Amino acid sequence: MISFSISKVLHTVQGKALLDVMCDIQPGELVGLYGASGAGKTTILRMLAGLLLPDNGRISVGGDTWLDTTAGTNVAPQKRSAGFVFQDYALFPNMTVKGNLAYALQKGQPPAIVDELMDIMELRQLSGRYPETLSGGQKQRVALARALVRQPKLLLLDEPLSALDNELRYRLQGHILQAHKRYGLTTILVSHDVPELFRMAGRILVLEQGKIVKHGTPPEVFFNELAGGAFQLVGDVVDVNTESKLVAVLVYGNVVKVKVAETEQYKQGDKVLVYSDTFAIKKMA
Amino acid sequence: MTDYQPFLITFRLALITTAILFIVAIPLAYWLAHSRSKFKSVIETLVSMPLVLPPSVLGFYFLIAFGPSHGLGQFIEHYFNTRLVFSFGGLVVASVIYSLPFMVHPIQAGLAGLSPNLKDASLSLGKSKTDTLLKVLLPSIKPSLLTGLVLTFAHTVGEFGVVLMIGGNIPGQTRVASIAIYDEVEAMNYHSANIYAGILFAVTFIILLTVYFVNHRYAITKNL
Amino acid sequence: MKKYGYFLSVVVMLFCSLTCGAQKLTVAVAANMQYVVEELLPIFKTETGIDVDLVVGSSGKLATQITEGAPFDVFISADMKYPNELFHKGLATVPAKEYAQGKLVLWTNTHGIQPTADLKILLQSSIVKIAVANPKTAPYGEAAEQAMKYYKVYTQVKDKLVYGESIGQTQQFIDTKAADIGFIAKSQVLTDEMMGKGFWIEVDKKAYAPIMQGAVILKHGKMTNEYGAKHFFEFLFTTEAKTVFKKYGYIVSAK
Repeated sequence: MISFSISKVLHTVQGKALLDVMCDIQPGELVGLYGASGAGKTTILRMLAGLLLPDNGRISVGGDTWLDTTAGTNVAPQKRSAGFVFQDYALFPNMTVKGNLAYALQKGQPPAIVDELMDIMELRQLSGRYPETLSGGQKQRVALARALVRQPKLLLLDEPLSALDNELRYRLQGHILQAHKRYGLTTILVSHDVPELFRMAGRILVLEQGKIVKHGTPPEVFFNELAGGAFQLVGDVVDVNTESKLVAVLVYGNVVKVKVAETEQYKQGDKVLVYSDTFAIKKMA
Repeated sequence: MTDYQPFLITFRLALITTAILFIVAIPLAYWLAHSRSKFKSVIETLVSMPLVLPPSVLGFYFLIAFGPSHGLGQFIEHYFNTRLVFSFGGLVVASVIYSLPFMVHPIQAGLAGLSPNLKDASLSLGKSKTDTLLKVLLPSIKPSLLTGLVLTFAHTVGEFGVVLMIGGNIPGQTRVASIAIYDEVEAMNYHSANIYAGILFAVTFIILLTVYFVNHRYAITKNL
Repeated sequence: MKKYGYFLSVVVMLFCSLTCGAQKLTVAVAANMQYVVEELLPIFKTETGIDVDLVVGSSGKLATQITEGAPFDVFISADMKYPNELFHKGLATVPAKEYAQGKLVLWTNTHGIQPTADLKILLQSSIVKIAVANPKTAPYGEAAEQAMKYYKVYTQVKDKLVYGESIGQTQQFIDTKAADIGFIAKSQVLTDEMMGKGFWIEVDKKAYAPIMQGAVILKHGKMTNEYGAKHFFEFLFTTEAKTVFKKYGYIVSAK
């Protein structure tokens, strides 16, 4: 089990803010971290990886204590078994794809894992290429593969798919899920894409201004607030027509037009919940 | 009869200074690029001082500090049995300080320009800071390293004021090319001065041209 | 009104500096003569009412600057060679005229060293660096080299020599103790600042060729300020000037 309770004063544009979170995660869980930018999602990942020191708190992973500020314990990032996939991928520009993976090998670790991951992530063809010649999706796969070479207990994904288009995103979600299962990882995924969290996360923590304000399964987190309703779908606003007061929402590949009272609160790219309380039926002629 | 010894001394001085500074500047630049220490501004200022201070100021301080009547000079004379003022070693020490910003600034800028995640990625892959620096960060800023090396070399070749003040113009030891030229001009030997100056001009031109050429090529191949 | 008055005074000053400035002389003076000439200036000013600006440097550097068109009116050199060269190039109106002969001294500012007239002190191992003006460009450097050869110490101490760019820098090397001992002009140890500092001894006149110091009126001076340049040049050979030269240890002709 992974459990952490950490706090740190953050210096943000708006001034000081206290980040204070506590959570237990079961082995094999894939937990989503959801929240507006600046809520502290990346900060939490960095503190778990040991790249940032919390002011107070403790982190324990499967019986090992990584951090305990009261006892003065702070395991260096190199000694923490955590794989980190950065938002900008952070591939080493001076190494080839294979070089990036091989660099991650630990002392005495058999190099077979490199080839295995190259196969799983479909990187064989790109083996000798340098990062600057790769597309976003390719870079993403390299970053993921590289984070797994060390076979970490904990995988930390910082909005790994945010820069990719929907189709690619869908495919890569598959890759992540596959790796998560295959290597029995415990994964924390930072994302603000609701459909993505629905598909991937078993549990979601909602972060607001440094605090976990809600947690639960995706339906629990995203649905309970906005009235019950028999029919609920998450979608993206693709068009807002102020004259006809119609909002076009993309729901799983279909565009649904919904009549609203006021169009002002909606804009392109918003996440919305399409729901209906009542259904009417009509006998077919 | 042209005496080429001043050139040998000049290039030896430039090479040794560049080599020492390369080793000294990397950790310093790394610290400056990543530190959030309160002292960072102070150290940064000190590193940049030789850019704005006239060489005569540095020369004057070196003359006092390296002389046998003051603490540092006394210490060196007592423990190392050598006097830094009027010696090649002294010129090396002075040049290292005088050319410090020319090596530190490009490397610092190069390191600061890299995504901070590169360093963090390497650390989270279990690599030490030294490994990260040597295998990831430095290879990623090759053009900056080259710029630092060449600027330092060229700047040391062009050094005059400090050497004039603490060198003592000793043939075979501290008489560098720039001083030899000054001497010849003052002695009204314009012919020799012309030869010396011409050689220095040509050599530095070729060195700088090579660097700009290589860096330009690097930029082109990188964009392919 | 106040502002206007200020403006007026600036205009008057400007006007004065343009017209009265024609009277002002620029004299290039060798470094070893700086203090001496500075003492001459007030006397010259009371006699003629002419102001003088000094440009101080080594004789060689000043001569080079004059060759390249520096606007100096009179050149007081530390030797005869440079002013004569200027005369031959047509940049001076008269051949160099000797105004004084300099004396060489061996000077130290380091305690425990006692300069000796036979220069044997230089051989001591406690003396690590000996400062000399660059013999190639400075007459006192040349004289020092001759003296060391005369006393047959030159080859042994050759590696201890460090060369000052001018006699002024040589003095500074010894003064800061960067060099343990060195050769400078007698005039330098007789200034108010240096009086009583360290120990010095005169080097015997027979050990080096006389350091004849000459001056010339420059072409620029003749063309722009003939009256002033001529007066200043002649002033160097008056009894008043000679008294000052003697005070600073120079040899002057009786006449």
